[in-house]
Amino acid sequence: MAMTMDELTVGQRACVGAITAPKQLKRRLMDMGFTKGVDIEVVKMAPMGDPMEVTLRGYNLCIRKAEARVIELR
Amino acid sequence: MQTISLIGNPNCGKTTLFNALTGTTAYVGNWPGVTVEKKEGFWNGYKVLDLPGIYSLSPYSPEEKLSRRYILDERPDLIIDVIDATNLERSLYLTTQLSELGRPVLIVLNMQDLLEKEGITIDEKRLSQMTGCPVVSISASKGIGLDQFKTEVENALEENKGPSCPLFSNFVEKYINNIIEDDYLHAIPEGRQPRWAAIKLLEEDELFLATMPPFPKEFACNLAKAHESLREHYDDDVEAIIIDQRYKVAEHIARASQVKITQKKAFNFDSIATNRFAALPLFVAIMGGVFYLSIGLVGGITTGWLESFFEMLGTNLTILLDSLGVFPLLSGVLTGGIIAGVGAVLTFVPQLFVLFLLLSILEDCGYMARIAFILDRMMRSIGLSGKSIIPLVIGTGCTVPAIMSTRTIEHKKQRELTILVTPFIPCGAKMPIFALMITYFFPGQWYIAPMIYLTGILAVVLTGFIMRAFDRHKEKTVFILELPRYQLPAIKNVWLQTRERTLDFVKKAGTIILLSSVIIYLLSSFSFSLQPVSPEQSMLAMMGRLIAPIFKPLGFGFWQASVALLTGIAAKESIVSTLSVTMGEAGITALFNPASALSFMTFILLSSPCIAAIGAMAKELGSKRKLLFAIVWQTGIAYLAALLVRALVLLIV
Repeated sequence: MAMTMDELTVGQRACVGAITAPKQLKRRLMDMGFTKGVDIEVVKMAPMGDPMEVTLRGYNLCIRKAEARVIELR
Repeated sequence: MQTISLIGNPNCGKTTLFNALTGTTAYVGNWPGVTVEKKEGFWNGYKVLDLPGIYSLSPYSPEEKLSRRYILDERPDLIIDVIDATNLERSLYLTTQLSELGRPVLIVLNMQDLLEKEGITIDEKRLSQMTGCPVVSISASKGIGLDQFKTEVENALEENKGPSCPLFSNFVEKYINNIIEDDYLHAIPEGRQPRWAAIKLLEEDELFLATMPPFPKEFACNLAKAHESLREHYDDDVEAIIIDQRYKVAEHIARASQVKITQKKAFNFDSIATNRFAALPLFVAIMGGVFYLSIGLVGGITTGWLESFFEMLGTNLTILLDSLGVFPLLSGVLTGGIIAGVGAVLTFVPQLFVLFLLLSILEDCGYMARIAFILDRMMRSIGLSGKSIIPLVIGTGCTVPAIMSTRTIEHKKQRELTILVTPFIPCGAKMPIFALMITYFFPGQWYIAPMIYLTGILAVVLTGFIMRAFDRHKEKTVFILELPRYQLPAIKNVWLQTRERTLDFVKKAGTIILLSSVIIYLLSSFSFSLQPVSPEQSMLAMMGRLIAPIFKPLGFGFWQASVALLTGIAAKESIVSTLSVTMGEAGITALFNPASALSFMTFILLSSPCIAAIGAMAKELGSKRKLLFAIVWQTGIAYLAALLVRALVLLIV
């Protein structure tokens, strides 16, 4: 089983692999720049541990862990 | 007239540019999704359109669909692709899609003033060569580069040259060309580009497929074959392959045309703003500070002063008019109607000005999106989204823009729930009535004002819990939000927004409130047989007494309160002006007592908003049934809460 984005901790970097989500969510995430091979870094977690803030392609994005779970890393 | 349309990612500065061009003061702010409607203006002899921001032409939320539909169907003469220059790569991803629409595209690199600070340099010439679009650098908020922009727009319209389409891998291109050559492609709607249509067919874009006749057998077969072989080759679905390759093109162009030196930031506000422990207290402190500064500090000083000013004005005017022998009815309308009514509302201008100013600063600095980030977990537990907090904060100013801003919430149920609860947050226009009651019945009791907001929040939470409990199909919702860069608020933006909102309030005082004050004064001066009578026998009192019994259990079953509540439907400020016109000599203390004052405040706090906000609700909910439910729910909660509050006070005191 590949590691997924929600398992990362603050400050960790990783490289995006496959996205295993229904069509619409997958398209949405890819439109925001989560394509294969992109580097991401976890910037911080929200006060209650969810959602998380990641940086990719030079900008910051916040995303819930439930959505981060569909993004596999490699 | 030629049409140019501004399009680009959310929060890249389209509306700031639109305002700079057309001289309007359309709503701007620093979070993704401020613009939710198409806006039109005129500049330099062109029609200019400002569209809601999109990340891609495959849209998700209603306002994004609007942008796509517009750009495809209305075919502007020139597409102005506004790009946040500090975010080139992702912006160019949208450019790769805009390039395929067969319209000329002008790339506008906005926020060039920030580039140096971010350590970025962009080679405009190279960017222009690689995209086939003219490129111009501007800073919309500082007004830099607008002359150059004008020249480029004129040139681009004159040349009318389409950009170069992004090229996919040979393998994908082969299938695109196969589709373009197919006879079926003659069926595409007029104005659509064959290449664009072919890509959409390959991607199986639902919105586009709906506009096409059903596939002929052979074509369907070929398309299925293409899908299969692409899937096999790339180990992914076709849509993903196309997105992936578009991003590769964007990466390639960005890499070749920009140099980025990563810089270390010395201090960043975000480390406190979203800190595990400090974030929530800071949010409460900031919102508390906003209200303390506006209502507490400034309001405390100016209200008393302005009240005595209008009182003095009224008295002196009466004396003057009497000495001039003016017809008493006219003098009554002027002093008892207009000055009492409009004056009661104008008293609140200074504190609302400060409130609007502070809210504008909050909206412009980039903190709004962070509030959504830190509160999402909490909001989710009551069935809302982190994005719901943005309308709630805006709602402290005015409910109408707040309800419109719910459009960025992708999930329909969450959006509707947010619309239902937004009016529970008291808007600026409700403030006068609270201030009036506090001054007369709870002087010096500082905790009453925060309690009002807390009660509003409680109604939001309660509604959320109840709706969630009754929601049988709990759907999974999505929350993805770009976090914009913090910025020092642009003085011009803040000033324009504050002025706009304050003037709006003043204008309402000069129109609706003025008119209703005069009408209320006249109605309270005559009986149905048009005989001048005391207010108690007036036709207004008669009408008020018809509904007054409904409010008897709440402690304000007298006609003045009923009439005030009725006029409050037109505008909430009217409640205060109507009360001041109808109360007469005895004053407010003869009618209310602390218990009924509290229940009156509670009822006004939670009951349905003014007609303008109800209109916004109707538009955003898009269904009469849902609107009716919302109004019944809000008024029902208001009634019960007011009942409860009165009972509690009577029990304790």
